[in-house]
Amino acid sequence: MKNRVLNILFVLIHGFSINTLLAQDLTATDIVRKADEKFNGEKSSYSEMSMTIIRPDWQRTIEFRNWSLGRDYALTLITAPAKEAGQTFLKRGSEMWSWNPSISRLIKLPPSMMSQGWMGSDYTNDDILRESSVVTDYIHEIVGEESIGGRLCYKIKMTVREDASIVWGKQIRWIDKKDFLVLKAELYDEDGYLVRTEMGTDIKIMDGRTVTTKIELIPEEEPENKTRIEIRDIKFNITIDESYFSQQNMKRVR
Amino acid sequence: MKDEFKIAWRNLWRNRRRTVITSASVFFAVFFAVIMRSYELGSYDRMITNFIESFTGYIQVQHVKYQDNPLIDYSFTYNGSVAAAVSKTDNVVSVTPHLESFALASSGTQTKGVAIIAIDPVKEKNFSDPETKLVKYRITDEAIGQMVAAGVIPDKTLEKIKKNLDRSYSSPGRLELELALTSEEKSDCFKEILKFTEVSNGFLTDNDDGILVSDRLAGYLKVTVGDSVILMGQGYHGVSATGIFPVRGIIKMPSPEIDNKLIIMTIPASQKFFDAEGKITSLVVNLTDKSTRTIETAKTSINSLLKDKNTTAKTWYELNPVLYQQIQGDSQSGVAMLALLYFIIFFGIFGTVLMMISERKKEFGVLVSIGMQKTKLKRIVTIEMLLLGTIGLICGLLASIPFILYFYYYPIVLKGEMATMMEDWGWEAVMPTAWFGPYFFWQILIVALMVVLATLYPLRKIAKLKEIEALKG
Repeated sequence: MKNRVLNILFVLIHGFSINTLLAQDLTATDIVRKADEKFNGEKSSYSEMSMTIIRPDWQRTIEFRNWSLGRDYALTLITAPAKEAGQTFLKRGSEMWSWNPSISRLIKLPPSMMSQGWMGSDYTNDDILRESSVVTDYIHEIVGEESIGGRLCYKIKMTVREDASIVWGKQIRWIDKKDFLVLKAELYDEDGYLVRTEMGTDIKIMDGRTVTTKIELIPEEEPENKTRIEIRDIKFNITIDESYFSQQNMKRVR
Repeated sequence: MKDEFKIAWRNLWRNRRRTVITSASVFFAVFFAVIMRSYELGSYDRMITNFIESFTGYIQVQHVKYQDNPLIDYSFTYNGSVAAAVSKTDNVVSVTPHLESFALASSGTQTKGVAIIAIDPVKEKNFSDPETKLVKYRITDEAIGQMVAAGVIPDKTLEKIKKNLDRSYSSPGRLELELALTSEEKSDCFKEILKFTEVSNGFLTDNDDGILVSDRLAGYLKVTVGDSVILMGQGYHGVSATGIFPVRGIIKMPSPEIDNKLIIMTIPASQKFFDAEGKITSLVVNLTDKSTRTIETAKTSINSLLKDKNTTAKTWYELNPVLYQQIQGDSQSGVAMLALLYFIIFFGIFGTVLMMISERKKEFGVLVSIGMQKTKLKRIVTIEMLLLGTIGLICGLLASIPFILYFYYYPIVLKGEMATMMEDWGWEAVMPTAWFGPYFFWQILIVALMVVLATLYPLRKIAKLKEIEALKG
């Protein structure tokens, strides 16, 4: 009996102490916001990336440049391979267009295509659009601390808010305590099954910020398939105007 | 035995009418069964042959994973020397490379998912031969207007033409068939009709970068020869495949399902489009005949020729298990119909036998009373029955031979709506008979069995025969 009381007391005190520690530090939502802003820039960003689609029998690499302003505007230009170079994707708000120079066609991607792979990768058009906000559409909760690749991380459980239109049911993110980098994310569907895992590695300093420059996406059902994104260059808070994200510019941008 | 045979023979001709009636029922049974089965097998055979020889081929060489997952990723490198070696294999008639995939076709604001079949225009002549399917004549408002203006075509014929508005035809014969012209109308104004409805059309050259569009698809996309169609799709290893292609010709596919969504292009053009340099998805092989033995032998020898271990030869029934099962099911239902026919006929035969026995009851009574052994009588009756059956059988088979032969060489050509329907399904509108095969000889066995069954009754009757009762009648 005495033991039990002691036990409860111990747990209470211990648990309380962790909570006070975190409360002094940051809330779960703050951590996710910091991580999100760190990667996407507070206002705007420009990046050059390469995406490698890995399949059991083959792999191919696509290179592209990306401009973004806030949450609502993004423009992507494919620069390699030659056959696909010049294709652009524009996001304005919740709409997405694609421009294909070889057929001179501007196509608005219908909502039905949102769940399809972007450029044949494991990323869906919706992932690229990032219509949902990891900050406002989820309820965040710190569920523990784990270390990933030698870095101590917050393990944050993100449950989707009821009114948000998101395909996922929940996410678990491991966010680095020191630099607020998303080192690992597990995405679950509405029924609670793991759908895919994302890993952020190769931490480098780019444009004065510490960022993960290699992101690997592994779909749970086909573990032999993989999509790897490597960031070649990234600039934060560039001067860019909303008018840059126009259909005219989709055809002009180089 | 010889005497018994003689007695039986004489017995038969003692009552000629009865003999004729009994053997006639056997005759008709055999005659109808043979002809029915022959038509059934013949038409079916033609249908399958049509289908196989212009769609799947008897054997296809594919990437091992292609059948389960028909993606362009599972294509393989076309090897000319392997194809040449395959074409030299026994019983191989033609070897045709294909590259098949899907894409979105778009023109103006219209967009539709289409099937793309890339062909070698020269080699394809031996296979599906799309050149014969080019639209040559089209009944349009404009054409009818011109016909009315010219005034050379009688009103009655014009009515017929108006009924077929917006239809297109790839040959004068087909046009004539669908208009259901009388011979008078044909001689009077068929030339004029052809003149007014004729449309220009083209075909693909060897390294053409253009496409052929199926008729209904062209109607949907609102394109004609000389326009362009935008194709968008996924190419080899997920490359985005996009391109603008000039329409060289419009083809009319018999099956509406295919006519709604087919685009044909040359293999080099498709390889460029899909970024699949030097690759094809299948090598279609046609053989001399479709007997299982020929197909399996050819499959084995083709497999031994393939150097790329990711490729394998598959027979049409492996590629199309549903069709194969359907064929077998239909054949079974044909057999069931035949069984029904025989069942009815059997009672016809049995009825006449019954009649014969009651007629000859007294005769049998007399014979047994004056000392004829029942076993001998039984033998005689059995011989009689067998003779009756044989006569009917031989006559039936002989009578069916000229029919089968004639309709084998000159099959019934269907006309009018029935023909249109058949052709819409992609079948030739003819009903040929099948060449003499096992089905023909099976009849002998079945009839023999029926006769034996029918004989059981008189034998039993004789065994139980009581002379006094029989004599009293």
